[in-house]
Amino acid sequence: MTAVTTVYEGTPVAAPPPRSLAAALDRGDRWFRRGSLGAGLVVLVIMAAVGLFLTVEALQALRTTGFSFLTTAEWQPDRGQFGIAAVLTGTVLIALVAVSVALPISMGTALFIAEVAPPRLRATFVAMVDLMAAVPSVVYGLWGLFLFQGQVVGLSRWLSTWLSWIPIFRVDGADPTDPLASASVYTASTFIAGLVVALMVMPIQCSIMREVFSQVPVGEREGAFALGATRWGMIRIVTLPFGRGGVIGGTMLGLGRALGETIAVYLIISPRFDVNFHILEAGSNSVSSLIALRFGESSGFGLSALMAAGLALFAMTLAVNFTAAGFIARSRSGASSEA
Amino acid sequence: MSSVRARGSAIAAVAACLLSVLVLRPPAEAQESYQRISGEGSSWAAGAIDAMRVNVKQFGITVDYNPSGSSAGRKNFLNGTVDFAASDIPFQFRPEDGSAPENPAPGSYAYIPVTAGGTAFMYNLKINGQRVTNLRLSGENVAKIFTGAITEWNDPALQADNPGLTMPARKIVPVVRSDGSGSSAQFTRWLIHLHGGLWDDYCRRSGRAPACGFTSYYPTIAGMIAQSGDLGVSGYVAQSFAEGAIGYVNYSYAIGAQFPVAKVLNTAGYYTEPTPENVAVSLLKARINTDAGSDEYLTQILDDVYTDPDPRSYQLSSYSYFILPTTIQGQFNEAKGKTLGAFAYYAMCQAQQQSASLGYSPMPINLVQASFDQIRKIPGVEVQSIDITKCKNPTFSADGTNLLAANAPQPQPCDKQGPTQCATGSGGVKQVATPVAPSAAGVEAAGPAASGAVTASASGDGAAADPAASGDLAAAPVCDPDTGVCTGGSGASAALGSAVSAAATPTMLSDSSGWSSVQTLAAVVILLTLGLVFAPAAAWRAFGEGRR
Amino acid sequence: MSTVFVEPDLVLPPRGGTEPRTVLPATDEPALLGTPRLRSLRGVPRDELVNLVGAGISAVAMALLLFGRLTPLRGNLGFVVVAYGIFLATYALLVSLTEDRPAVVDRIMAVVLSSAAAVAGLALVSVVVYTLWRGRAALVKANLYTQDMSSAGPLDPLTVGGIGHAIVGSLVIIALSLVLTVPLGLACAVFLNETRSRAAQLVRTIVDAMTALPSILAGLFIFATWILILGFERSGVAASLAVSLMMLPIIIRSADVVLRLVPGNLREAALALGAPQWRTVWHVVLPTARSGLATSVILGVARGVGETAPVLLTAGFSSTINVNPLSGPMVSLPLATFEFVRSPQQELVARGFATAAVLMVVVLVLFALARIIGGRPAGSVTSRQARRLAARSVKDLARIESLGGPPPRIPSAPVTEATA
Repeated sequence: MTAVTTVYEGTPVAAPPPRSLAAALDRGDRWFRRGSLGAGLVVLVIMAAVGLFLTVEALQALRTTGFSFLTTAEWQPDRGQFGIAAVLTGTVLIALVAVSVALPISMGTALFIAEVAPPRLRATFVAMVDLMAAVPSVVYGLWGLFLFQGQVVGLSRWLSTWLSWIPIFRVDGADPTDPLASASVYTASTFIAGLVVALMVMPIQCSIMREVFSQVPVGEREGAFALGATRWGMIRIVTLPFGRGGVIGGTMLGLGRALGETIAVYLIISPRFDVNFHILEAGSNSVSSLIALRFGESSGFGLSALMAAGLALFAMTLAVNFTAAGFIARSRSGASSEA
Repeated sequence: MSSVRARGSAIAAVAACLLSVLVLRPPAEAQESYQRISGEGSSWAAGAIDAMRVNVKQFGITVDYNPSGSSAGRKNFLNGTVDFAASDIPFQFRPEDGSAPENPAPGSYAYIPVTAGGTAFMYNLKINGQRVTNLRLSGENVAKIFTGAITEWNDPALQADNPGLTMPARKIVPVVRSDGSGSSAQFTRWLIHLHGGLWDDYCRRSGRAPACGFTSYYPTIAGMIAQSGDLGVSGYVAQSFAEGAIGYVNYSYAIGAQFPVAKVLNTAGYYTEPTPENVAVSLLKARINTDAGSDEYLTQILDDVYTDPDPRSYQLSSYSYFILPTTIQGQFNEAKGKTLGAFAYYAMCQAQQQSASLGYSPMPINLVQASFDQIRKIPGVEVQSIDITKCKNPTFSADGTNLLAANAPQPQPCDKQGPTQCATGSGGVKQVATPVAPSAAGVEAAGPAASGAVTASASGDGAAADPAASGDLAAAPVCDPDTGVCTGGSGASAALGSAVSAAATPTMLSDSSGWSSVQTLAAVVILLTLGLVFAPAAAWRAFGEGRR
Repeated sequence: MSTVFVEPDLVLPPRGGTEPRTVLPATDEPALLGTPRLRSLRGVPRDELVNLVGAGISAVAMALLLFGRLTPLRGNLGFVVVAYGIFLATYALLVSLTEDRPAVVDRIMAVVLSSAAAVAGLALVSVVVYTLWRGRAALVKANLYTQDMSSAGPLDPLTVGGIGHAIVGSLVIIALSLVLTVPLGLACAVFLNETRSRAAQLVRTIVDAMTALPSILAGLFIFATWILILGFERSGVAASLAVSLMMLPIIIRSADVVLRLVPGNLREAALALGAPQWRTVWHVVLPTARSGLATSVILGVARGVGETAPVLLTAGFSSTINVNPLSGPMVSLPLATFEFVRSPQQELVARGFATAAVLMVVVLVLFALARIIGGRPAGSVTSRQARRLAARSVKDLARIESLGGPPPRIPSAPVTEATA
């Protein structure tokens, strides 16, 4: 170290300027540059316009309510009484139910595909998950409304009967001692909407996790096996720590998707405008289904209020997505994986 | 290079697809002189409008109709994004519920009443696993149900309406509209006029006060289900898990869903349903704005319909309107005006003859004539001089009386308020009768003595309807497997004496909540069973390991 | 119980795969602790199979015993849960008779992971089969595909009317969206990758942000601007604008990733040969990434064609076929599904499910297409493409020879090889 410095101390040569590699662009290239820059700028302008327009429109509504926009549950913009307390709570609860149900299934499926499944069948399972992601949300909505809801009501009733001491499982107006109690109190609930959304986000989470798990360095896997680890032991000490960032990131991407889901939620829930933490109880709400319900009949101000709600939703999905991207990028596996 | 070609061929393929579509279907515009028009609005009237849309197809008229609710229809008419709107209520210059006033330019629109019908209460209720099809409700009970004052089907007040049924101890699930709807507006207006106290109280509880006027947005409280569109409401009520649900929809939706509707008590003391005939009778009392210069020309004031003393009348009858443009505005132009005019003429004339078969009621002659005058105001319309008698409208007669109303059948005697109850079905299930208690079945039994006896029975049922005692009412052979509530009985005397709790049927409430001896026993059994299977193997393993 | 953690001196490497493996030298020395058990890492040996089947049978039997016989338990879901619990316990017990603790945990976890996948698979199968089943009555009628609903009222039977208008609407909307998004999206992706512009990072961030845009907001934006402010009617164009807004970020992002994977030395080689940048992009970068780009476009299409929310706000509603996206409402498949199934009438619900089935088939076909195209790595070609390339190089050879230059030393060897 010292020797090296002495050598160079004696010869104080100014650092040579970096060699310029600039080349004259021919006309085609100039047009190419301009064209691609133009395309980039057009996209930038379009996307920025969406964000700006939403913000500007939303501000009109936000200015009249101020802070109470976050605390009011009612939605009567024309009377000046509106806020997202109820819809945002509903949105978040539906998304949380969805993610907490989807997480174990997607993680299990991803691990199954990456580690357990016979290699011959692996491609088939990957295709299956991709297909699941491809099914349009309206189809999941139909399925949830016509088939799943009837099946889940029993589970809801059971949960509310035995676990109603946990506040979120309480159902007002349900009397478990009454054998004739209508199943209606358990329908159209946050829980059912959340379960259906879970099916939608599951494949998204699963494919990201699988991607990450498949990048586990072979050396580490082999090392674990060589040390006598069982397959599960290897998963626990190698795959899961390696893929942690992917798991968290994938989960959050799923969460972002769940927050914005419209049609399946719209088909299933019965909208209500009070802050309702009882996920099994009939009635829920979400920002996107509120917009779908009210866009057509809103006055100008009402539309601005809807945009304010939409903006709040967008801010939330944005935060979730960027956090997810951050997790994925920071994880060991993130450098090469693309969410 | 090949990427270009691939992309080029993809685009070419898509273009070819489109072209082939164009070629296979000769452009409709070439054959017809009608431009396509679009409308939006009432889902209440959508059944009738849909039928018109289908029928005018034969004349080359293409109409798009989006049944997204009256409020959305009026809104989009004002925005100029549709050519006409359908709405159950007129523009709201001074809305009573605090929503934003709608301010169409004066003289830019005209109303024509296009169809009439009744807001019906479609329900899903079973007794002994058999669908009830002959439910009767007094207006006050309807109001109480939809304001949360009555929450159980076996409420004494409901039992009193239905002497022939043993009402089950089921929760009532009111299903209302979640979107802005003319049905909600008509229904709440009726509520306010006849049961204002209940409504005010409800409005306060739901947090709407002080804006408690009639509203297109029905306020909800916990326990209610809100669905969008008549389709949403009827679709929910018709689901098998929605037992106990009742929702307000147009009569035609109950017919389409093949579900019954509640007969509602009218001022004359009869329980009626909104058949086209009954609606025609009721709307004879509608006060129509006949000031041709008014902004609200031809609109309805229904106060007298609510109190019509005719035994056939149905209180929640109303007209639904087309809102037609009278100036060029938004998407609307004269070419579309021609189509719209032809469509409106058809709607007012030929279409009326089939509305009854759909569950709607045809327009009376005076409104049809006034509407023809209104249609003239559409820019670009080809004025037709229609011989009104050729319309085959069932309400028309030579002397100008409303034939449909005049010939409307009187209600059956068993539909009169009192001890009897008709077994015949209603709405979409007219052919399905519901067995009624013998005491309430006989028309002859409607004497004063019997009526006194049934009053006693009703009050007795009311007492027995207490959920705690629901297992007591068991003097009869046919018993509800769920409750043990029994109906029928060997004779009138048995039914009358049903309040006496003799020979109670033992009923197990298998869904009882909380940890009880049953659960303890079950847990013990489960543990024992598992133990029986697992213990030997586990022991063998333990000792086997130990030996090693 | 011996607490020895079995350290097998011989571990077979997992079978399958091409990665380099650690191979332990075989040893002739006797094992330290009895016979060493080879731990299987893949596959299911026969005794395991017997264990699994046995545990399954005993679980079902015991659950049957508990449900309805010994205890008042009931309900299908409860039965499945209880049976599954018993299955796991029985299986653990059976395995523990022959294996040590880590192996038991391993087996149990393998079963748990497989069941997670089974749940997912069951859900998929149930969604697909249920949709087809409920729509079967309508799906088998040819008029479903050829007619629209303009002459079918709500009470008409399934033999009248169809979803032709929705199929055409979906095609038109998605074709328009493609016209809008593909050139713009690919050009933007090229911009992000090929030009070292300072704006690229900003654009990339904004595009990333826009992938988070909930689809309903895309619809709301177009509804508020295109329809309310600019005063256009609801139409196919409005719908495709909204759908484009959703597809654009998806296409740009995935195309960006694909272009980033193009090896830099290909670009450098082209530039070193004196090609201008646009030629490099046009003739080297884009063709190399072709299959990936196609995949990204198809993924965008699959997403766009299945979207309901933006179309709901912007397309209007119609029952009549409409091939003109500029005027008149236009219905897409998901929107038609949505409107049909809200009806209480069984015929309309059946139509709705049939529409959903058609939509699902369309999307699944698109996805399969994406997988087939995207499955081929950059640079590999089909035999047809190989023939075409060979033909072109023959032509090039002729051109070069006609220029009068010196004949190439080995003129035809690679060509004949390619043609063969």
